[in-house]
Amino acid sequence: MTAPILNIRNLSVSYQTKRGLLRALRNINLQIQAGRIIGIVGESGCGKSTLISAIIRLLAPNARIDGGSILFKGNDLLRLDPEAMRALRGDEISMVFQDPMTSLNPVLTIGRQMTDVQHRNNHSKAEKLSRAARMLERVGIADAAEQLNRYPHHFSGGMRQRVAIAMALMTKPGLLIADEPTTALDATLEVQIINRLRQLQGDVGCAILFISHHLGVIAELCDEVVVMYAGEVVESGTTRDVFRNPDHPYTRKLLECDPARIAEATRNLPVIGGTLPDLVDLPGGCVFRPRCDRSIDICRLERPALRGGNHCAACHVAAQ
Amino acid sequence: MSDLLQVKDLRVRYPLASGFAAMLNSKKPSYVDVVHGVSLNISRGETLAVVGESGSGKTTLAQALCGLAPVLSGEVHFDGKLLPLGKDQHLQPDRKRIALMFQDPVGSLSPRMTVRKLLAEPYRIHPGLSDDPDRSALNLLSMVGLGNDFADRYPHQLSGGQARRVGVARALALKPDLLIADEPSAGLDVSIQGEVLNLLADLQREMGLGIMIITHNLNIVRHVADQMAIMYLGRFLEQGLSSLVFHQPRHPYTAALLAANPSTDPDAVAERIELTGEVPGLLQRPSGCEFHTRCPAVQAECRMSFPAREGANGKQAWNCFHPLD
Repeated sequence: MTAPILNIRNLSVSYQTKRGLLRALRNINLQIQAGRIIGIVGESGCGKSTLISAIIRLLAPNARIDGGSILFKGNDLLRLDPEAMRALRGDEISMVFQDPMTSLNPVLTIGRQMTDVQHRNNHSKAEKLSRAARMLERVGIADAAEQLNRYPHHFSGGMRQRVAIAMALMTKPGLLIADEPTTALDATLEVQIINRLRQLQGDVGCAILFISHHLGVIAELCDEVVVMYAGEVVESGTTRDVFRNPDHPYTRKLLECDPARIAEATRNLPVIGGTLPDLVDLPGGCVFRPRCDRSIDICRLERPALRGGNHCAACHVAAQ
Repeated sequence: MSDLLQVKDLRVRYPLASGFAAMLNSKKPSYVDVVHGVSLNISRGETLAVVGESGSGKTTLAQALCGLAPVLSGEVHFDGKLLPLGKDQHLQPDRKRIALMFQDPVGSLSPRMTVRKLLAEPYRIHPGLSDDPDRSALNLLSMVGLGNDFADRYPHQLSGGQARRVGVARALALKPDLLIADEPSAGLDVSIQGEVLNLLADLQREMGLGIMIITHNLNIVRHVADQMAIMYLGRFLEQGLSSLVFHQPRHPYTAALLAANPSTDPDAVAERIELTGEVPGLLQRPSGCEFHTRCPAVQAECRMSFPAREGANGKQAWNCFHPLD
């Protein structure tokens, strides 16, 4: 196996808050092989956003990296100087955000914005525009040359998101981070975007880190999935393994809660009882124990490590 | 059963530009029809889900029912009485009977008020419903499953699910008859989504609420809604009992929507109905049936005129020249 394009090792991040140190990420390990699509699932507050911000080094001022490393193509991003990091962002690592209306500049034409992202290339302006038009065609936007003169508000939601994807892929990044890119769209457009992403990923060959609430989208698009809970990775593996045979009780409950999985119409949807633990004052042992229905004595005492080969889970019960 | 809410051919039109510049540029339309002739009925204790993508006019429909959007024409009967929409002050006595739950749970709560104040506010605006607003506020909190310790928190100290619960409590403070919930589960995790929807179902059973849920999540519609309506560019293309619509969609757009819903089973082979083309903007509303630009079964007549309503209203009805079998 070749070296992964992104290799996160033992990453811990905490926020300085009035109540004390909020430990948002604890010992995160995550590898992304070149050209693979990895999905991250987890409830809000599980640290997905902190993880992305740490990768692109745009953490809030009160955040502190407590340890670990983020190796991108062998270089530790956490040790890069700001200048070098800036050169990477939008070039080697690019992002697609949740809301395409707010991530595109409303007062500049699409063409202007798409040439701006090529500012590092020494092409002529005409060349940059024609490259932008070609990219728009690849995301399935008709009359691309014409569309370059239009503004974001001229486009529908699905088109805007495709423009954002085209823009992110302009520079042929090694890693594309997509933060809930389909949340604002209806089901037909969601499927359109997923198919488009998959196809483009094949062409461009970049790895994709895909974040979504929607378990169905993850199942459809991603090769591998990482389940996060309260700042830790609790399970990871290929999408098939994790969704078919979840090892961690949290993953199992999360899947049970998905209304799409319940065949009979019911008024009483299943929920995961209890609440997320307080990240300022973490309970000892396994973080999921207070909400787990299978906990045993050791869960109270010892934090379970991620165990297993390609499909691994951090659970004492599953390890037995 | 008598209908709690009865809407007939409601239209909402927003003016686009006014003034001298717009007069000179007479080629451009000076208005945009966001809701384009919508009819619906909701009975007590019943849930209607309005499904459609962003920009299809779902939220505007909800706002129009609360008197917050300019109604061009149409009638709204609430509990047998005609609501004078568009005339703001006339709505006041009935406004407390129609509650709106906004889309953004944190954004719809004033950041400078504690939860206690937020929940007591409806009682201050409508005096006579509670002798002791503060105590009523605490009752509301426990009704939505939040402890008393939440009373002195500010909205930024709440999680998305908790803020949503406060939103539910606020909407139900005045014991409304109709609750309009705009994307009650958007941005929530699957587990919390279940909690909020279960809470709504419980309260509906207790209070006999009529609920209109606006969403684009088809998975939850199947579980919570008695009736559903599929909205596209301001029109209901298909509406009826959810069990019937899910079982046998008749409109091609409904069928495509239902088929597009990704499954969590990685091995499931999806039988997709591929839609081509872009969603047209409201300003370039297509002639005839609005869906003809993307419809897989489009024929000449679809471009000419809008198809009439077929099927049985109340069971399953659609607007399509070539309904699916």
